[in-house]
Amino acid sequence: MLRVINSGIETLVEDWPGRLGYLGKGMATAGAMDNVALRFANLLVGNPPGEAGLEVAGGYFEAEFGVDAVISVTGTDMKPAINNEAVPMWESIKISKGDILKLSHFGEFSFRAYIGVAGGIDVPFYLGSKSTCLFGSYGGFEGRKLQRGDVLPFGRSSKELDSLAGRKLKKEVIPEYAREWHLRAIPGTNTSPDYVTEEGMDYLFTHAFKILHTSNRSAYRLEEIKDVNFFARKDGGDGGSHPSNIVDHAYAMPGALNICGNTPVLLVLDGPTLGGYMCALSVIKTDLWKIGQGIPGKDFAKFIPSTQEEAVEATQKQGALFCEESLE
Amino acid sequence: MLSKNYDVILDTLPENERRLEILFRQAGDGFLQVEYGREQRAFLLDSFRMLTVNNTILGKKSQGLIETVPGLRTNLFHFDPEKISVRELIKKIKEVELSVADVNDIELDSRLISLPIAFEDSETKKSVEKYVKEVRPGAPNVINGYNLEYIALCNGVSVDEVKKMVLGTEWYNSGGGFWPGGGFFWPMDPRCAIVVPKYNPPRTWTPEGTVGIGGPCIFTYTTPTGGGYQLFGRTIPVFQFKQKHPLFKNSPFLYKPADRIKFHEVSEEEILYIYKHVHEETDYVYEIRDGKISVREWLKFFNSDEVQKGIKELKKKQEEGTRKAPRL
Repeated sequence: MLRVINSGIETLVEDWPGRLGYLGKGMATAGAMDNVALRFANLLVGNPPGEAGLEVAGGYFEAEFGVDAVISVTGTDMKPAINNEAVPMWESIKISKGDILKLSHFGEFSFRAYIGVAGGIDVPFYLGSKSTCLFGSYGGFEGRKLQRGDVLPFGRSSKELDSLAGRKLKKEVIPEYAREWHLRAIPGTNTSPDYVTEEGMDYLFTHAFKILHTSNRSAYRLEEIKDVNFFARKDGGDGGSHPSNIVDHAYAMPGALNICGNTPVLLVLDGPTLGGYMCALSVIKTDLWKIGQGIPGKDFAKFIPSTQEEAVEATQKQGALFCEESLE
Repeated sequence: MLSKNYDVILDTLPENERRLEILFRQAGDGFLQVEYGREQRAFLLDSFRMLTVNNTILGKKSQGLIETVPGLRTNLFHFDPEKISVRELIKKIKEVELSVADVNDIELDSRLISLPIAFEDSETKKSVEKYVKEVRPGAPNVINGYNLEYIALCNGVSVDEVKKMVLGTEWYNSGGGFWPGGGFFWPMDPRCAIVVPKYNPPRTWTPEGTVGIGGPCIFTYTTPTGGGYQLFGRTIPVFQFKQKHPLFKNSPFLYKPADRIKFHEVSEEEILYIYKHVHEETDYVYEIRDGKISVREWLKFFNSDEVQKGIKELKKKQEEGTRKAPRL
């Protein structure tokens, strides 16, 4: 187990792919915002890739370990230290009872760090997942972000702890982080010619959108659409008076780009599953992790046209990364 | 170079005398939206047909289909593209669409759930009080400390008539989404079709069980949360996170798509008594009856002179009401 000394800005228990099958009940999948970093963190400590770990957004998490353990830290470089001595990222690290892990703030690039623990974080499954849905206050650890004094138990490790120490990810599989994130996306459900002009769609697929500081686990809000004749219709019929309105429809969650008035909003892991705004494109599953690393108020998102076929291929290629061959 | 392929309608079934055109819209990797017609209309007939098709498809347990999320005139299919291709899925849906008889012949399974309601109870009144104090002092939709008079004003009727409309029809659930355990309820009797604008800006708190209306839909709040619907009063729990009561043992959700709810007026004391017997004593017995919606009979009712006359009369009152009611 570990005991939280400093909960940091927002630290959550998350797994992957989260809570599947409840969109119609108003429950988003939740799960790790950067599932690639979480899955590597798990691989390093010998867990199944989707096991629950800690997602640290922003930084300043600090905890004391109550047992010997093996952990890993992936994602943004928050300068992890154990007992005030720097430790490497993307490697498994042996921890002794009483050790204190401390993270600083997020690095020059990317926003979220992940802590994997051999055996996983042992919180109860709720509707098939250990993920926290922060927006709805359920799942994970008591449905909320961690607080000072919280005690998190670990599951049983699949292997002897000593055999798991010193595992390292190959350099070439460590994800590259950026200021401008390129997200492959498939047009739909509401595009040209009936909802958006061709010019408007071109704009969505060429402009680098600033990520607004109000972004969170429900929605990554992007800068307003400007200087383009965007909508191909005057109003939303029975759906409402604004051309971005539509009779409520389910959102292809996560990854759908909502057009709310003139603001494009990328719906992410905790987002609404249904509502009255049109959706112009969907980020492919393989690339969705990137938005989870986008720094609110600082980074940019750019959408790259993709297809269903490319998306399936990309999923398979990415899935193959989370195996022992990716280790040195 | 942009591919310029923004045509997201992957396939269609042409309109005929038995149904609208059916569109199959691309919605990212792993999602497909089925849409009825091209017009943004809100008409229960579309939902009756859609849920009939939906039930048949879910009954077939197709490999790779994760879930469906019905809206009023669209249905979102969530699937695993590594197990079933979007083309195969469209083929399956088409088969079922083509096998569904004339919409007139549809008899849709629909439970009837009796729900007590206490109008303008003190708990929901607190949330309105909080709104006026903390969010929007002098909010024009709050008259004498509540929303009922504003709802009446918008619809050109009296408060008494508003209550009669809430109690006087069965409310039909077109599907869930947006908030855990919620449903969107439409009046089966169009003469009870109250319409109101939503709060602007929204409330920060609404108690569990609050009954409200936004646009044309009634919503019963499943857990305490913010919200934008105008308030009628309070009903009993329709959702239970902890799954203690026998009704919620297998699933925390009460509502299913196509359910109808019917309100009857009770005192606030009775509502509070039931809360205790759902959440603590767990011995409250819900009144739920199996039933069916006969589309032929509903259409006969809907198209009858009396109902059509009533719709016209209400629309006229509402036009006048909309002119008089302050904008939010």
